[in-house]
Amino acid sequence: MAEGLGSDLYILGVIVALTVSSFLTRACYFMFGGRLPLSEPTRRALRYAPTAALMGIVVPELLPWEPGVGPVLDIRLIAGIAGVLLFLRTGSSVLLIVGGMVVLWGLQAWM
Amino acid sequence: MLPALIATGAWGFVTGIALVKSGLSETAATLMTVMVYSGTAQLTALPLIISGAPLWLIFAAAVVVNIRFIIFGAALYPYFRYMRWQRRLLLSYFTSDIVFAVFIPRYVDSRKKGTRDQLWFYLGGIIPVWLVWEVFSLLGIYMGSFVPASWSLDFAAILAILAIIIPLVRTRPMLVSLLVAGFVAWVGQPLPLRLGLAAAVVAGIVTGVVAERWNGRRAEHG
Repeated sequence: MAEGLGSDLYILGVIVALTVSSFLTRACYFMFGGRLPLSEPTRRALRYAPTAALMGIVVPELLPWEPGVGPVLDIRLIAGIAGVLLFLRTGSSVLLIVGGMVVLWGLQAWM
Repeated sequence: MLPALIATGAWGFVTGIALVKSGLSETAATLMTVMVYSGTAQLTALPLIISGAPLWLIFAAAVVVNIRFIIFGAALYPYFRYMRWQRRLLLSYFTSDIVFAVFIPRYVDSRKKGTRDQLWFYLGGIIPVWLVWEVFSLLGIYMGSFVPASWSLDFAAILAILAIIIPLVRTRPMLVSLLVAGFVAWVGQPLPLRLGLAAAVVAGIVTGVVAERWNGRRAEHG
């Protein structure tokens, strides 16, 4: 990236663009929800939104696709599965996180 | 709430590191973190910034990634509709995936929406999450270079999000919705502008509703 005033202005522009985007998408329903009514069934359907959004964040990290290569298997998947199994066994979210990290570090050291 | 805070802290920290690593000054990274307050949008913008993409494209990418905030807003509005618009506007800034994921399953079936309980529970989520996010982002921005990349701290955030997702899966339609959303997120990775994330949200909602109907029909017929 070029240093200097041009690049400073560019970064400032990026920050403004991102701020406006976050502001508009977050605020539109909070502000105008009364004028954009949703039916009760639609609203109930939105109960599936949170888990789906979190899956959309997590899955690409566990099962990445490499550009030009396609899907790849990563040790992160094994560590993730180990953490989930620990959680299902014990019900402890701390054990999931600690266990998953330990498995990841172990695999990293071993490979 | 603990996994939510761990996820937020770890995610904020690695986002802070990523901002500085991609060439942003510490001041710019700090400004961005406070103004934008959306790790996904910030991380999506980074490769575009590095390649010097035009501002409209960065804006478009951020809107696509943030489409889920519109959906979150639609689901949250009934709980806050009694408030003055200034307060609603202020609340909207704090919308976060993680608080939404904890709040909605708890209150989606309550008959009365807009109670004090709901407001306090929501505030009890968004305020700590915001503080932890900002503090750990700043730590990442200013101290990130002291943490070796081999520690893979970003993975702690992923594990913490898993710890949030699993307890939310209590019904069969939810499980089906989650699996389909996960599959769409997986095959949607080559899509530009992180469209895979938006596609996963839509697929998860549609599948959940279809599975609910199917489940109900089967129950009716015994």
